[in-house]
Amino acid sequence: MASTPEMITSKPSAKAGTKSSVFKRMRGQKQLMLMSLPILIYVVIFSYYPIWGWTMAFQNFSPAKQFSEQQWVGFKQFKFLFSDEIFLQVLRNTIGMSLINMVLGFVTAIVFAVLLNEIKNKLYKRTIQTISYLPHFLSWIIVTGIVANTLSVDGGIVNDVLMKLGFINEPVMWLSKPHYFWGIVAGSHIWKEVGWNAIIYLAAITSIDPSLYEAAEIDGANRYKKMMHITLPGIKSIVIILLIMNLGWILEAGFEVQYLLGNGVVVDWSQTIDIFVLKYGLQVGNYSLATAAGIFKTAVSITLIFAANKIAQRFGEDKLI
Amino acid sequence: MRTKQLRAEPVVFHTFNAVVMILLAVVTLYPFLNTLAVSFNAGNDTIRGGIYLWPRVWTNQNYTAVFAGGAIYHAFWISVARTVIATVLSLFLTSMLAYTVSRKEYVFRKPITVIIVLTMYFNAGLIPSYFLIKDLHLLNSFYVYIIPGLISAFNMIVIRTYIQTLPEGLIESAKIDGAGDFRTFISIILPLCQPVLATVALFVAVGQWNSWFDTFLYASSKQDLSTLQYEMMKLLSSSMFSNSNAAVSNSGSAMNAVQNMVTPVSIRAAITIVSALPILVVYPFMQKYFVHGMQLGSVKE
Amino acid sequence: MGVMKRKTLLTTMSLTLALSLTLAGCSSSNNGNSNASPVASSNAAGSTNTSQKQEQITISAFIGAPNQAPTADNRIYKKIQDELGVKLNMEFLVGDLQQKLGVMIAGGEYPDLITADTKLVAAKAVIPLEDLIEQHAPNLKAHYAAVWNKMKDSSDGHIYWLPNYGVQQGEVHSNNYSGPAFWIQKDILKEAGYPTPKTLDEYLTLIRNYAAKHPTTSDGQPTIGFTTLAFDWRTFGLLNAPEHLTGHPNDGGVVVDDGVASVFADKDIAKRYYKELNGLYNEGLMDKEAFVQNYDQYLAKISTGRVLGMFDQHWNFQAGEDTLVSQNKIGQTYVGFPLVYDTSIKDYYWDRALPNLNNGFGISKDAKDPVAIIKFLDALMSEEWQKTLSWGEEGVDYMVGDDGKFYRTEEQRKQQQDPTWKLANRADAFYGASPKMEGSYSDGNATDAGSQPQEFYDSLKPEDKELLDAYKFKTWTDFFSSPPENRVDYPAWQVDLIDGSDASVANKKMTDSSLKFLPKAIMAKPEKFDAVWQEYVNDYKKINVKAYEDRINEQLQWRIQNWTSK
Repeated sequence: MASTPEMITSKPSAKAGTKSSVFKRMRGQKQLMLMSLPILIYVVIFSYYPIWGWTMAFQNFSPAKQFSEQQWVGFKQFKFLFSDEIFLQVLRNTIGMSLINMVLGFVTAIVFAVLLNEIKNKLYKRTIQTISYLPHFLSWIIVTGIVANTLSVDGGIVNDVLMKLGFINEPVMWLSKPHYFWGIVAGSHIWKEVGWNAIIYLAAITSIDPSLYEAAEIDGANRYKKMMHITLPGIKSIVIILLIMNLGWILEAGFEVQYLLGNGVVVDWSQTIDIFVLKYGLQVGNYSLATAAGIFKTAVSITLIFAANKIAQRFGEDKLI
Repeated sequence: MRTKQLRAEPVVFHTFNAVVMILLAVVTLYPFLNTLAVSFNAGNDTIRGGIYLWPRVWTNQNYTAVFAGGAIYHAFWISVARTVIATVLSLFLTSMLAYTVSRKEYVFRKPITVIIVLTMYFNAGLIPSYFLIKDLHLLNSFYVYIIPGLISAFNMIVIRTYIQTLPEGLIESAKIDGAGDFRTFISIILPLCQPVLATVALFVAVGQWNSWFDTFLYASSKQDLSTLQYEMMKLLSSSMFSNSNAAVSNSGSAMNAVQNMVTPVSIRAAITIVSALPILVVYPFMQKYFVHGMQLGSVKE
Repeated sequence: MGVMKRKTLLTTMSLTLALSLTLAGCSSSNNGNSNASPVASSNAAGSTNTSQKQEQITISAFIGAPNQAPTADNRIYKKIQDELGVKLNMEFLVGDLQQKLGVMIAGGEYPDLITADTKLVAAKAVIPLEDLIEQHAPNLKAHYAAVWNKMKDSSDGHIYWLPNYGVQQGEVHSNNYSGPAFWIQKDILKEAGYPTPKTLDEYLTLIRNYAAKHPTTSDGQPTIGFTTLAFDWRTFGLLNAPEHLTGHPNDGGVVVDDGVASVFADKDIAKRYYKELNGLYNEGLMDKEAFVQNYDQYLAKISTGRVLGMFDQHWNFQAGEDTLVSQNKIGQTYVGFPLVYDTSIKDYYWDRALPNLNNGFGISKDAKDPVAIIKFLDALMSEEWQKTLSWGEEGVDYMVGDDGKFYRTEEQRKQQQDPTWKLANRADAFYGASPKMEGSYSDGNATDAGSQPQEFYDSLKPEDKELLDAYKFKTWTDFFSSPPENRVDYPAWQVDLIDGSDASVANKKMTDSSLKFLPKAIMAKPEKFDAVWQEYVNDYKKINVKAYEDRINEQLQWRIQNWTSK
């Protein structure tokens, strides 16, 4: 909302409360507790209880053995992960691709949602919206197949068009140029997911009070001003929350796209942490390495989201937690 | 539209907007149409490449192959059942939890939020999860599709964020009228949250519809519980397998393979279409809940 | 490197689908296996009769390959149920095998029959079979007699698995060649007057001359002199050529000289080959896209008829060639040649059949009646049942000529290609994983339709017949030297590197390094080639190649000690 609703809190803030006042408040919140605590227990069982599996990271885990028979190896798996000379390289690639995907993904989805919102014809709007999310339902192998054909040196449409327009004299082998790889991955991501990602913003736009637009119109605001001063601020809180959440996934650049589009020539720029773990962990039955990598990623994620949350708080924005 | 707005600016804008939107539609429609064309094209011809928007050698063999086994009809209904049940349950529980953590006065608001949010950032791994499911006696049971994934932290945060943008006065006035939190949630929050609930329902439903891994891990030995996606995965794996193997085991009869109209690429296309179509119709249906500023105007303070 | 090449097909997770493949050792020998004795059919009939009186039992089986479930009223499974009293309850692999087995082992519950994997032995999930076979399974015993020692587990000497391919008997007809070779289009041979290139130089000269005369194909697309594929796990096209050019058989990533295996990828024998490719590249004859293409693009290229030649294994590009045949572009399909660097080297591309060790079925510890299971498998090993599983039912799926030779009518051939029909009328899913006869039956018929000489001859196009006649050959294998007896420790690629060991890590790193530097070297300017090659060699020095070689040599030595027949 553009005009933040006034909080009508009849109760003192949590910090001021003493122990007894906390209990007093709890008594008044029986319904809230009944509505949330059982679900919390459920989450603890299904998500937290299996974390005992993290012990695998400190073992040479073999599924054939009982827990008590496993061989404990301390930090060996972590050492393997961090001491490999290409670890820094895959870390760089992961963060690089993730950041590009994230920034471009956010910008394109938001721009798309805002522009779509400007369409008044309902049928036209719904059609565009429905079409835009179709690629989400295609698997990466299909999408990367199309990307590879599009970028091909013989008969690929990108080279054909660029040649006809005179930008290039001979076809470019896009997929063998290391410095294009991140861009191609980001482009593929956006192509596949822009419509899908926009859905959430379209929902958020519906929560904007229509009277704000009416008031702005009376003030003579143009379309651009309304977008900048009403629509965008209206979805600001969800954008910030999603940004914080996504920051936590910075090490999740995926592996399918990179694996399917990558090749030996660009390997220095295409390998991500997940591909590394897949090769040296899962493919050879080393669950322990995969677990160690997972713990590392979790540590990074949690650090990042708490930091981002703090920053958001300092700037008076919505917080994730 | 008022007449005074008919200036050059909206015309330029609308033209620009229309061009951008149509370009986007063309670009995003293409892969789907291409897949559709491949699915109706003879597999051995598809290998040559160069299929764009229209099949070169028409065939319905890819679809015949998809429907050949007969197992997919039952699997389709299992998929529908799990999707509908899980979506309804998940929507209700997730939004209820989201409501409680949106209440600023709630004592456990912060700890619950932290506990839930963190689940997005770790993964205990396959084997411990398998043990949990086994110990809960959920193996080879329909409930294994429903119970484990009911609460998604992401969806909860999305709903909570939406609830927080609603005018606080609404909730307060309900409370003054004597409504408890549960009644406030049911009669005020849920109706107001329609747009975001429609979005989250779509997320949950698509996730449920597309999942096959839980069948693979937890219910693979029970054909009755097979889902559409799992049947499709079976078909795709076996076509890739037999295709690569055919060259070896039928080495003598080159004729065999020549007439083989169904290849992994062509069957993958048909599978994609068959499994995506049912869920694709859900979204246009949900769009009617995305009505701009619905109800909000009428209940403003 | 590709030491585990074919094994990789089984264990590698193909990302798209986590698809795993097993390959039969299908390149077969002419004389067959003198040790393997044909199974007496009287014996088979006897066991069929006794089992008819057995009560109905259900055997559950997990098959480690993807497949579709047969229809409920499948003709062959029904016959098995009626005559042998066994109902099969099969589960097929979907997704990744390693993941599936990991979870199965963790859960500790297994079906009666289970697909082979060394993990299961370590988990004590399967029971030793040697006594069961000795006491209850005369057919299996006879079938595996020649490879009995090889089937023993290298860690404890027990037999846990029944290999599903590669144990041959009787006369073996090798009509087609599905293994590695340098391939060249038939039109090139025809235009050059059917020469027989023996060396890489002669082969490349043929390609150069033809490419110069035919810059485009007849339908106007530019020709591509030579291409290669290195995508996903299909990397052998790029990596394996040097060992063959030096007259070594397919040992994967190593060459074995005087009983010692060594890695060749960074050695001079490899450099010579890649330098040739570098030359081709700079002449514009090498496919520019070779190193970025995916498998689909590779097949598409081949199926347009533009590619004059490549090094590959036949089964890998067969789908593309099939498409050429269906367009009736026979002249652009391929003949394989076993090239070497110098004429002094004898080619060794074609090798003898290998038992598909660590594949097939084992019996799990959870099986209630192992004896009944082994008896069932033994009954299926009779010639009568083998014919039913491979050819089908006489009169329905195949005919018997006056000379006693099996053949199929045009209509019968057609229905064998119909996937829907097969689900109801063949037991392929089970047959593929179970022990089987290969070669020929005691009555002289080939064990599969494709190997029956007449069936092969009927499948040849007029252009093929003309070409074979010109070379005075009968089959495609005649272009290769007959394979000698396998070394007792052959092949090195079957060595289990042990998951997570230094050897297996080194193996991965070597492949990564080769895939990174070889394209760079090939695409370099000719004067830069040596410098890039040096970079590559230096990169290899950082890898623990020794751990890898040591593991392989240790296992080869073990084989020599344990597999040499006494």
